[in-house]
Amino acid sequence: MNTIQKKIWLLAIVVLLIMATIWMSLTFYNQKMQDQYNNILERYLVMNELTISSQQMVTSLNNYLLIPTAEDLEQMNSSKEQIQKMKEEVSNFKNAENELALTNYINLIDSLIETVNRSIIFQTESGTENARKALNEATHISDYISEMTLTLIDTELKTYDRFYRGIINQSEDLNQLGIWLLLLITFLLLLYTYWFSLKITRPVEKLTRAASELSKGRFDLKIEVDSKDEIAFLARMFEHMRNNINNLISEIKQKAQLEKELQQSKLLLKESQLISLQSQINPHFLFNTLNTLSKKAYMEGSEETSDLLVSVAGLLRYNLKHLDKSMTLHDEVNVLNQYIDIQKARFTDRLAFYTEIDESCLGIEIPGLTLQPIVENAVIHAVEPNEDGGTIWFRVKDRGDRVTVEVEDNGPGMSADTIRQIMDEEQQHDTMKGHASGIGLSNVVKRLRLFNGCEDVIEIEGNVGSGTKVIIHIFKERRVDQDDKATNR
Amino acid sequence: MRNMITFVIVIICAVLFYFTIDSALDAYRTNWQLPKESEQELTNRLVLITQELDTPFWDKVSAGAREQAEKEGATLEVWGSYENNQENFLKQIEIAIYSKVDGIIIQGLDTGEFKEILKVKAASYGIPIITVANDVPSSESLRKTYVGSNQYLAGELIAKQIVTDMGTTGEVILMLDSRQEFYQNQRLQGIQDYLKDYPNIQLIEAKTEDSREQGIALTKDLLNRYPNVEAFIAVNANFTEDIIEEIERRSKVEPFHLYSFDDSRASLALLKQGKLDGMIEQSPNEMGQKSVNLMMKWLNNDTVPLDLDGYLTDIRMVKALDVQ
Repeated sequence: MNTIQKKIWLLAIVVLLIMATIWMSLTFYNQKMQDQYNNILERYLVMNELTISSQQMVTSLNNYLLIPTAEDLEQMNSSKEQIQKMKEEVSNFKNAENELALTNYINLIDSLIETVNRSIIFQTESGTENARKALNEATHISDYISEMTLTLIDTELKTYDRFYRGIINQSEDLNQLGIWLLLLITFLLLLYTYWFSLKITRPVEKLTRAASELSKGRFDLKIEVDSKDEIAFLARMFEHMRNNINNLISEIKQKAQLEKELQQSKLLLKESQLISLQSQINPHFLFNTLNTLSKKAYMEGSEETSDLLVSVAGLLRYNLKHLDKSMTLHDEVNVLNQYIDIQKARFTDRLAFYTEIDESCLGIEIPGLTLQPIVENAVIHAVEPNEDGGTIWFRVKDRGDRVTVEVEDNGPGMSADTIRQIMDEEQQHDTMKGHASGIGLSNVVKRLRLFNGCEDVIEIEGNVGSGTKVIIHIFKERRVDQDDKATNR
Repeated sequence: MRNMITFVIVIICAVLFYFTIDSALDAYRTNWQLPKESEQELTNRLVLITQELDTPFWDKVSAGAREQAEKEGATLEVWGSYENNQENFLKQIEIAIYSKVDGIIIQGLDTGEFKEILKVKAASYGIPIITVANDVPSSESLRKTYVGSNQYLAGELIAKQIVTDMGTTGEVILMLDSRQEFYQNQRLQGIQDYLKDYPNIQLIEAKTEDSREQGIALTKDLLNRYPNVEAFIAVNANFTEDIIEEIERRSKVEPFHLYSFDDSRASLALLKQGKLDGMIEQSPNEMGQKSVNLMMKWLNNDTVPLDLDGYLTDIRMVKALDVQ
């Protein structure tokens, strides 16, 4: 991981490297220049020394010729050696521009030594006159040497003029380089520092913003930090936390939704029960009365009336008992038949009812009092207003994973608006008009939806003038949890 | 705006980088021009010594000598003194001898000291000497040979010209250096020998020291003493300027017949101005070349011995009319 610490180290090392490079090159350059200076100075010093030594030698020779002492001789010999040594050194100074002068110079020194030697030999062979002459000559040569030294140094100065200028120019260049380098490094460092601080502060800022959003309760904003350091780690953890919180909240919301739905179904049940209860005193009385009437009719030999009364009583009982329970399709169909019997007695020939039932499907469970309100609806809308009566088809079919129950009539049909109103469960459009159980279609739709735990439990097909067809889907495999909840309450 | 800032930063970076690298290259490019190392040992070190450095005549001599030295693979140095400074001149010769050069080419000087140095020191160091332009007799200097003009012939040429220009009668003043150098005597000899046949031409020899004041003073004196003089010959060319200056101070130069030699600084300029009627032109370039050539021959033992009488170079008369 490219951590902040690493970045700081990198910066420090880079700066250190740059400084080291500059320091080293400056030192190298200074050393080089120093060497050159020393070299040049050395030449001057050696030449100067040579001149002094030659003069010394001549002086010693002079002393020796006046009073020959061993001391002077020794002195002379030593300065001779010295001169020889320096001569070697001087001969190393040779270059293309002073080679002639230098050769002359070295030869002059040779001549001087030869002359001095000659003088000493003359002296030992007691040719004092010749010795003095040689001394005279040596003096001359010594003078020439000093003169030549000056000339040589002069030449050196001229020769090295360009070199000196070069050195001066170079130190000026170096100064300039220093200034440019300083500017460049300052600029780069500023840039790097800006970038570096941005790298640290920007993620922190993002994190801060994200935190404040979180604190305001917005959990759906993704936290994105595009760096690779510790901040990114922090952000990832933060993002993880946000995700968790978000998931928890949505879970809670879902639960709340479920709760709400349950509450609603409860309310609907209550509503149905209330409506039932409203007519509870009467029903019991009615029920008993109906039974009495039925027996009476039977005894009086009116069996048809008696049967009809039994049907009414059965229907009434079913309505009162099984509103909040799930019943089998079989029970429902029975109740439906009783209802149709009653209605047939009412409408006689005007009502034609056809059934088409797959017996194997009758064991399936279905909320109580669902089919009767639908058929009742068909009777109210398709048969009642029509003077010629109407036909109602009732079909139960097995469709693999589900059982469909179809109720079709040939009445005036429904407009699309009406269908939408019925399907939209929020709309309380029910009018209790003419319903035996007092339960409207909307109520049925809602209960079916709750029962099945999904929305598409009912379809209504129909246009104005071409009859209506209501299809109910009952899934064989109901979702267990919802079933539990639905039945437990 | 952001793009702008980025652009500016990039530009600044580029500029800074450019100047830094540029100055770094400047600073670390070692352009210290150290003199080259000398590779080979010096052989054939020759020295040309003259008393009259920086005169047109001697410039040509040294140019020729240098040219030849380069051709022959020898190294040549030109030493000397200015304005006939004899003391310095002699010192240079001594230094050359003590420096053990391989050969000395020298302007002859007809003095005892000069001959002494040549005879004793140069001989004892075994250094060959060739005189150039001005000669000293070999018997007195032990020179190997002489390269230069035949001064006797030069004298004759001038005399001939005077006869042509002035006619066979008249007074002619000969300006001589009191040192009576060998070459001057040769010239004088040439003039005298030629004019012997013209008894009506009267030769007046005037001698003084070779210096400006003396030259002017002598001319003044001569003009006073010989008002009828018609011609001047500067046997020592250095007097040419003095004569003309003094004459100009009194009258016009044109009526006088003035003759000189080219081994003086002013001669050529005066000839061009028409103040000088004629000048003996020598071949300084050839002298330089020839002398180095002969010295190399001697050093390489190609021609031993050299002709003691000398190797003569061309001379000719140049008249003012030719130059103009």
